Amino acid sequence: MQDLKPLHEAILNGNAKTAKAVTEQALAAGIEPMKLVQEYMMPAMAEVGRRFECNEYFVPELLLAARAMKAALELIRPLLVASGAKPAARVALGTVKGDLHDIGKNLVAAMLEGGGYEVIDLGVNVSPEQFIAAIKEKGANIVAMSALLTTTMPSMKTTVEALKQAGVRDQVKILVGGAPITQKYADEIGADGYSESAAGAVAAAKKVLA
Amino acid sequence: MNMFDTKGHTAAQDGRKPNTLKKLERLNTALRHQEPDRVPISDFFWGGFTKRWQQELGLPPDANPYYHYDLDWIVTVPNMDPWIRPFQTLKESADEVVVKTGFGSIMHKHFEFPMPEMRGWETDTFEKLELATFDDPADRRRFFAGGDNQIAGVGDGFQRNTPPWIETVKSLRPDFPVYGSIIEVSECLTRLIGQENAMLWMGEEPERMGAVINRIGEFYFETAKAEMAAGKGLLDGFVIWGDVAYKKCTFMSPRYWREYFKPWVAKITEHAHANGLPVIYHGCGNVKAIFQDYIDMKVDAYNPLEVKAGMDVLELRRQYGHGIGFCGNSDMQVWETGDREAIRREVLRKLNAAKGGGYIFQSDHSVSSAVSGQTYDYIVKLVREFGNYPIQLGEFEEQL
Repeated sequence: MQDLKPLHEAILNGNAKTAKAVTEQALAAGIEPMKLVQEYMMPAMAEVGRRFECNEYFVPELLLAARAMKAALELIRPLLVASGAKPAARVALGTVKGDLHDIGKNLVAAMLEGGGYEVIDLGVNVSPEQFIAAIKEKGANIVAMSALLTTTMPSMKTTVEALKQAGVRDQVKILVGGAPITQKYADEIGADGYSESAAGAVAAAKKVLA
Repeated sequence: MNMFDTKGHTAAQDGRKPNTLKKLERLNTALRHQEPDRVPISDFFWGGFTKRWQQELGLPPDANPYYHYDLDWIVTVPNMDPWIRPFQTLKESADEVVVKTGFGSIMHKHFEFPMPEMRGWETDTFEKLELATFDDPADRRRFFAGGDNQIAGVGDGFQRNTPPWIETVKSLRPDFPVYGSIIEVSECLTRLIGQENAMLWMGEEPERMGAVINRIGEFYFETAKAEMAAGKGLLDGFVIWGDVAYKKCTFMSPRYWREYFKPWVAKITEHAHANGLPVIYHGCGNVKAIFQDYIDMKVDAYNPLEVKAGMDVLELRRQYGHGIGFCGNSDMQVWETGDREAIRREVLRKLNAAKGGGYIFQSDHSVSSAVSGQTYDYIVKLVREFGNYPIQLGEFEEQL
């Protein structure tokens, strides 16, 4: 049995080349793709998240770990799809209409992917209609919205209302986050969950799905 | 209309008015941690706010909050682009414009949205970054010529052909204490290579990136020196713009920041002080992990102290005493509600920080277009009513 701890370590240390190489070897040796994800990659990203929360890791380390995880995941994802394996959930993620910032949203995407979620990244300046289309056409069961500015955060409320109008609100859980967002605001607009940081997004997603 | 496009109303040769000298004394007394006549107040205004404020208060289209409220200081920005060149227009319509700037960044400005989007960067590899050679930091065009520059031109508004910095300084000087300013390395990297690449390359090649940071640090230190020389006798202080934190903590580790970023802030601060200029550092986010460092560098005041990032001026005063001045921290999200009772509570609570001097009243970032004209009007009146020394805040009195 191949020692797969180096995969865990490569993600933790942000070493994309090693993460990819170990994954290739493991797959060639016949190790189940899901085993790699669940036993090595997800725990590694969870540890990255923990370190980020504790200020042991900062944004550079988080980005490197995410890149290493993605390098491994690119090899694994087609196999998972072919085997019919389902992600923990499908998340339609975007920075809300009027807001063009993306680094926070990208960090959330990386953490969610590392947590076993499929992320449909809708980008920045995402209209309510785009979120609705992702639910209807791509089967998203979580809508995750990000905003950096106090002037754009009302677009979150507009989107929640639009989801209700379109009759899809009950098909999804809604997560919100970003610099000006608080739990209080999330409650006020009728979101199901809130995360203070990118690393907390995985726990927030898990909580709303429980 | 942009955050930094206020031009003076007064002819440059008119000399400083007694009221301006009084405002300067007020500001400097506060920065010396002594109590002036009243708490100084100013702010940074989004173009969208100014338009709204003019309309809501029935003011003419050339009305300006700095003049209307006789605010206590104003900041100016020279051309800090690495490469001094006009914007290259890549796309233009009535709704939006896409330009390549003197940072080599592709900037998309949609006129309906408050902030621009960075779509790409000319410097898109580490190798290009290492080989990049900037124009002369002391190039006279930075200070004495008009033209496009990204900091003044692409932000909350969009402006071509910004007037010469020195003319702006001279035209404002009769009416306001005028500060010059410089960005530090973090702000340059965001525009030059994008924040994500900057962070990734710091993580990937910390020492090689450190060498780049030092080279850019040296560039902006030299630009700052040249700016202070160009504005000799005309400037009253200096602002360093340098966002290095987000809601939770610094972007990079405090250790990395101390090794590569801090030395350049320290050098600019030291040089400003040698030129008799107090220094206000502007840095968003939660900087608690490195706050003592600003005190160690003898920065005179810290701005903007974002409430949403957990910064609280009264907590900071309790923790650090009068080791540093504070500028800002009045919660924009409360201002945006328009709720007079909540605003009064917010403003009066924060005025506790002005006891013993050392506080300039401002928002915790900038006045956004979501703040009504009437609300800002009310806030200035509150600060003018309750900001007279000795400060008496009644039920909002707090022991520090």
